[in-house]
Amino acid sequence: MSLAQNFSRGIVKDNPIFKQVLGMCPFLAVTTSVENALGMGAAATFVLVFSNFLVSLFRKVIPSKVRIPSYIVIIATFVTLVDLLMNAYLPALHQSLGIFIPLIVVNCIILGRAEGFANKNKVLPSVLDGIGMGLGFTLAMVVMATFREILGNGSWLGFNLLGESYQNQPLLIAILAPGAFIIMAFILGFFNIMEKRKRGGVK
Amino acid sequence: MGEIIRVGLMLMLVAVIAAVALGYVNSVTSPIIAEQKEQAKLAAMIDVAGSLGAGNLVFDTLSVPELANPYAGVDETLAVVAVTDSTGSELGYLFVAYGKGYSSTVQTLIAVNTSGTVTGNTVLYQQETPGLGANVSNPAKFLYQFDDRNASTLVLKKDGGGAEGLDAITGSTITSRAVTCSVKAGLDALSDAGVIPVEGGVI
Repeated sequence: MSLAQNFSRGIVKDNPIFKQVLGMCPFLAVTTSVENALGMGAAATFVLVFSNFLVSLFRKVIPSKVRIPSYIVIIATFVTLVDLLMNAYLPALHQSLGIFIPLIVVNCIILGRAEGFANKNKVLPSVLDGIGMGLGFTLAMVVMATFREILGNGSWLGFNLLGESYQNQPLLIAILAPGAFIIMAFILGFFNIMEKRKRGGVK
Repeated sequence: MGEIIRVGLMLMLVAVIAAVALGYVNSVTSPIIAEQKEQAKLAAMIDVAGSLGAGNLVFDTLSVPELANPYAGVDETLAVVAVTDSTGSELGYLFVAYGKGYSSTVQTLIAVNTSGTVTGNTVLYQQETPGLGANVSNPAKFLYQFDDRNASTLVLKKDGGGAEGLDAITGSTITSRAVTCSVKAGLDALSDAGVIPVEGGVI
C-alpha cells in the first residue's frame, strides 16, 4: 500500500465514523455545535498521530501478550502529559480544547488504530494513517454537527443562518441526545444506500 | 513461568516509565497551573467588581463570625471579599456560588452591593452539556437577568416566579436552577449574618 493511500484511506474509504463505526461516544456527545466538532476533531487528530507514532516506535519492544494494556498506558500517559503541558504553557488553547482532551483517552479510534495499524507498520505510514483517520473523524464530526447545529440552534459555527425567530423556537431535539441518534441513523443509512448502489444492489 | 515474569516485568516497566513521566511533569506544571487559575480568578474579580463602582477598588477578605456556609460540601468556608473604593467606603461584596448542575458544579462569581442587590456576575467554571447547559457561560442567554435582583426575586419562572421570574436556558432547566438557587443561598447566608439587609431593606 502506498504512503498516499495510507493517508487518504481514513478520510472517505475507511472513514472511522461512517465505515468503521468507531468512536461513537464523542460523535454523539460533542457534535452539538460545529465549533465543538472542530475542537474535538483537532484534539483527537493530534493525539491519534502521536499515539500511532509511539505505538509504532515501540511495536518490537512490547510483548504481544500485554500489548493492549501497554497501549492504554502509553496513550493515557501521553494525553495527560499534553493536558498538563497545554494547561501550563498554552492556557488560551487549553481553554478551548481542554474539555475535549480527557474524553479522547476513551476514544476507541485511538486504540483501534494502534491495534489495527500502528503495531504492524513502520513509523511513517503509521503517522500518515493517524493524520488521515483524524481528518476523516473531524470531517464526520463536522457533517453531523452541521445538521444538529442548523436544526437545533439555527446557526452554523455560531453564525446565525435561520434568523432570530427560528432561534427562539428551534427544533431543540436535534441538539439533545435523541436527536443525535436520529440524525446518525439517517447519515449511516445514506452511506449504506450509496454503498449498495455502487455494488448495483439497489435499483 | 519465566514467560509470565518476563511479560509482567515488561508491563511494569511501561507503567513505571509512565508514572515517572507523569509525576515529573505534574510537579513542574502544577504551580504554574495554580497561579494561572489564581490570576484568572483575580481578573474575573476585578471585572465583576467594576459593576460596584469605578476607580481603584480595594479587595479585602471579609470575616463575619456568624456567617453560615451554604456550600459546605464544596468549599470549606463561604469566602466573601469586601470591595471598598480608594476612600475606604464599602461598596459591596464578592462571593463564589457553587451550584450542582447537570454534569458539573457551576461556580458563579457574584458581586452584590451593600443593599443586597446583585450588580454583576460571571461564570468561573462549568462543564455542562455543550450546546445546552454550557450556554450558562454566555451572559446574554441567562445571567444578564441576575442584575438588579435581590435574594427574594431570584427565582425561575418555572419555579413559581411568575411573570417577574427568570427565564431558564432552553433545554437546561437543571443548570439554570442550580445557578439561581446557589446564588440565592449565598445571598441568604449574607443577609442572615447581617452583612446585607433582608429583602432590600436597611440593616
